Amino acid sequence: MRPVVVTGLGAVSPFGAGVKAFWAGLAAGACAIRALTVIDADGFRCRIAAEVPEIAAGSPRRSRADRLALGAAMEALQDAGLTAAERAEAALVVGAVGGGMLEAESWYWARARGERTRGWAASLRSMLPATHAETLGYRLALGGPRHTVVTACSSGAVALAEAAELIADGVVDCAVAGGVDAVTRLCFMGFNTLKLLDPEPCRPFDRDRRGMSIGEGAAFVVLESAEHARARGARAYAELAGHGMTTDAYHVTAPEPEGEGMVRAMGAALAAGGLTPAAVGYVNAHGTATPQNDRIEARAIGRVFGGGRVLVSSSKSMIGHTMAAAGSLEAVATILALTHETVPPTANLTTPDPEVDFDCVPRVAREASLEHAISNSFGFGGQNVTLLFRRV
Amino acid sequence: MSQGQRRSVVITGVGVVNAAVVGASPALGAWLTRPRAGARTPPGAARPAVRLPEGTLAGLIDAGEGRRLARVCQLTVAAARLAVAEARVDPAAGLGLVVGSELGDFTSTIAFADGYLARGPAGLSALLFPSTVMNTMAATTAIAVASRELSLTINVPTISGELAVARGAAAVASGRVDAVLAGGVDELDPLVAETLDALGDAGVRGEGATFLVLEAEPVARARGATVLGRVTGAAWRSLPARPWGVGRRVASRAIAEALAGAGRATPGWVYGSASGDAPRDAWEAGVLAAALGARPAPAVSLAPLVGHHAGLGALHVAAAAWTARTRRLPDRQGGEPARVDGCGLVHGLGRGGGHVAVIVEEA
Repeated sequence: MRPVVVTGLGAVSPFGAGVKAFWAGLAAGACAIRALTVIDADGFRCRIAAEVPEIAAGSPRRSRADRLALGAAMEALQDAGLTAAERAEAALVVGAVGGGMLEAESWYWARARGERTRGWAASLRSMLPATHAETLGYRLALGGPRHTVVTACSSGAVALAEAAELIADGVVDCAVAGGVDAVTRLCFMGFNTLKLLDPEPCRPFDRDRRGMSIGEGAAFVVLESAEHARARGARAYAELAGHGMTTDAYHVTAPEPEGEGMVRAMGAALAAGGLTPAAVGYVNAHGTATPQNDRIEARAIGRVFGGGRVLVSSSKSMIGHTMAAAGSLEAVATILALTHETVPPTANLTTPDPEVDFDCVPRVAREASLEHAISNSFGFGGQNVTLLFRRV
Repeated sequence: MSQGQRRSVVITGVGVVNAAVVGASPALGAWLTRPRAGARTPPGAARPAVRLPEGTLAGLIDAGEGRRLARVCQLTVAAARLAVAEARVDPAAGLGLVVGSELGDFTSTIAFADGYLARGPAGLSALLFPSTVMNTMAATTAIAVASRELSLTINVPTISGELAVARGAAAVASGRVDAVLAGGVDELDPLVAETLDALGDAGVRGEGATFLVLEAEPVARARGATVLGRVTGAAWRSLPARPWGVGRRVASRAIAEALAGAGRATPGWVYGSASGDAPRDAWEAGVLAAALGARPAPAVSLAPLVGHHAGLGALHVAAAAWTARTRRLPDRQGGEPARVDGCGLVHGLGRGGGHVAVIVEEA
């Protein structure tokens, strides 16, 4: 297995375009969850979300999600400085769920009203999750192995794990990996129907939390074998030192109550990195702010790391739950926490849940000496993924 | 590699549910000897499709699953169970899952949207919502067969099933997991069919699921499993093409890398992904000619018999294991199988440029 390092970062988040804006928002503990404008929220209990304020990349004829993905992937590639020849050999792994569903919904809604629809073919062609990878591969001339993974809310993190395996196994030297999702009607309506959305901005790990907030965005990273990065003089942000992927096989939407699958994912990541739990200083939690997720995740973190020892925070308190993008945006947040030696806070956390036996870094970022950090991502279907990063 | 190939990977179980054949490897072998097409419906339609007859699933899933699970999940669970039963693999010893799907559960997705359009927020179903996410088949199957290791759903146009098997084989070969259930599934929804027609997809469409149990050979041998075939190489790349498009370039390293992983120079026979989508089929022929030279190996595609769906690629791998064992390549017209030698290439080239090659040999 070859060591894998991160040499390029790209993000389009509810804080705006670019990694710089993303980190500025996280470090400030700002909350980007506001009134929903992309879709009509009339009649729903929750009417807020964390939307991307302005999307610069790509033609407006492309789907909103494709444009989010293009913005983040182009930034990551530019940051890494890969040559055209290196891109032609690079793998591309995309985590996706909604695809171009936002535009397909517009077509279907209009069709249901009996209206004539224009430009529908392009909308339907971009509907499937795989379209992002096809768009990125074609536009950015990435010619290596390419695939799209759909693992619900853990998709973005799985994409990084998949790409890391391709590099570690010697299949490719470089890969572009990340996740993307735009706000869609189906997602917003579905989580409303499940009564999992808080009408106010979400409050992960707060005693009075009432559910999650929907978000959107994209984050991509360039991963390389450490040897390849060294040979071309590339700067490495961090090493992706291990990962774990497990399945609960318990329930389609609910996590296994003891967090057994989560524990196995964190344990597998630590084992792959050759670390003991004591080496990890920070956990970027999945932290959705649903009563059930946060309680079970805290229990699982406690079983792995021991009560109270690591710092834990949730980026979703600031950017909402960005679905397939969440795992990759939070991976970037974790990498930036290592490089800045600063733990981003959990915004909106005013009354810590007594059942959560950790310092969840309420409201204000914290300087901390960090050598290793993990990012947890979980999803419908009992999908558990942990990424382990090492400072370089 | 090929893609991370280190431990020997063998096939120990097969499960097939489609309009032409239902069962494990004996049923598949019987069908391949004299393959007959699944019934095309509606008769005489401009774009016939191969649909699973009503009632096929009744004996393959229990009554609770029949009520609770969406039809595409039932297809997945049924094929997965057949494969696991044939392999006699113990999921508690560690079983991963890789599901390829092109369309997911559009039937439930459309029903969920229709509920809102008919009655507003009150018409939305909390039960249908999870099925709008494409990993719903993996989620329900992981529960049904107690698969608790990695679980992936792979979405790539045209070649999801082949890629799922290639990805599963890589996971086993690398030592990350000892056994993986890998395959593909899709169902035909009328609105989806209408939409694909309008987008110019001209292949014969079908529905169904095929899954294989892939295991590390030492683990399979140690537990006395019956070995059906060996996956000796697998690789995937991408060729330039617009989304959903057909490209022009025919030079790709996937076939060469898969053959190199198997230690072979050329395949003796080929299962291709040709499905009647003329531009894509012509592109695939060009890619195969570029990789294999002027004297192509005998080739067959089962797509016209069962219709194109994400289970097809996995069906081709299972069929390739049969061909490797029997040295017979089925005749799509139902005639006598051709005698073949050497290793087999399962080849997939998708709209959008996804390209996968899997080498299968006798174990």
